[in-house]
Amino acid sequence: MSETTFMGVERSLIDWKPVIDYRKCDYCMECVRFCPHKVFEVREDEEIKLIIKNPHNCVVFCRACSKLCGPDALSFPDKNITTQRIKEIRKEMEGHG
Amino acid sequence: MVENFAILPCNGLDKCAGVISRELAIRLSEQADNKIICPVFYRVSETKYNKLAAERPLFVIDGCQTRCASKLAAEKNLKIARRIIVADEAKNRHMELTDSLRITEREAALIDLLIHTLHEESWNHPAALTGSPGSTDRSEGLIDRLFDVGNKSDTDLRIPAEDLDASFDFDYETIQNGKFIFRIPKNRDIFFNENDCWARVSGNRARIGVTDYVQQNLSDILYFYPPEVGDEIDQFGELGTIESSKAVFELVSPFSGKVIAINEKLEKNPELINENPYELGWIAEIELTDPEGDKELLIGFEKYFEITKKKVEDANVK
Repeated sequence: MSETTFMGVERSLIDWKPVIDYRKCDYCMECVRFCPHKVFEVREDEEIKLIIKNPHNCVVFCRACSKLCGPDALSFPDKNITTQRIKEIRKEMEGHG
Repeated sequence: MVENFAILPCNGLDKCAGVISRELAIRLSEQADNKIICPVFYRVSETKYNKLAAERPLFVIDGCQTRCASKLAAEKNLKIARRIIVADEAKNRHMELTDSLRITEREAALIDLLIHTLHEESWNHPAALTGSPGSTDRSEGLIDRLFDVGNKSDTDLRIPAEDLDASFDFDYETIQNGKFIFRIPKNRDIFFNENDCWARVSGNRARIGVTDYVQQNLSDILYFYPPEVGDEIDQFGELGTIESSKAVFELVSPFSGKVIAINEKLEKNPELINENPYELGWIAEIELTDPEGDKELLIGFEKYFEITKKKVEDANVK
């Protein structure tokens, strides 16, 4: 169900995904239950029980999972840097268009 | 001091922030006429606390972002009058919470600081005592979040001279999926971002809110955490959050600018966003910094309609 583009830019070119701080994560899996885009995957039988499985499903600029994270273990890129990068890519696309 | 509240705290037995929440609630109840609702007992038996919850405004103390106490309030259909998240307060003060489940010197210092801030503000702003909106000034800090929006003067809250309400009419197109109807305004002065927020531009100002897609997905909106008037917001920066029992939604500002007004009605009636997120449920107004530049990354009705239609079909929201 993920969008293939965001602001006209191929989603895979935009670096926007949560980063898990495993020193803080207590595997409560609140983020997994919340995220409707299946960004996370639970790996019950492994030492690292939670991974970012589908980073490009993550809605650019959405940080809702981090706002629900009790141990504050999720972080996202700087929005301004991401916006600038999107603008640059759009310019590059215009140049090629 | 904070008075006449029913206090619903996080119970705090597995995290430092919870332990602090519990202690803060006890201190507030010892120092004034505030009554604690035990979240554990309340979950299994409402009877003991129903009268209290009905008679007093509710002050929720969440320990961390899991917001267990807020969620419990939502389950019990209680309206949150005031709320504090201890982890946020610690972070705002650059205090890192430890794994300690004891109130050591460090935790006691934070509790003292929070209590002190409450006392100090209350001395200066007696209208805040019962949580009722007054006519006091706003300042930074905890109290602002506890007692904020209604404490602004009428002057601070005034709608710009060219009253946006007066000139706003909305012409909607709808997408229907089962019992859910998603309205999208077609007016040409309305711009959208792909994060489901809209902005209606009038001169160098814009009124901003969320779309029907957001409110339908969140379901009953219970809490509105506004931006501060005077905040400078970047394009796609955070313009407050809204919460339901299901989720938290961060408003992604379509435009850059300075916050000049917020919709104060949402503080007491966040459900207005559910009723109509474009009209009574607008969120904030900003003075625009770079409208033409920002518009390059925004979309109009046609494109937003197309995106929403696809999302509704994909999500099969029913």
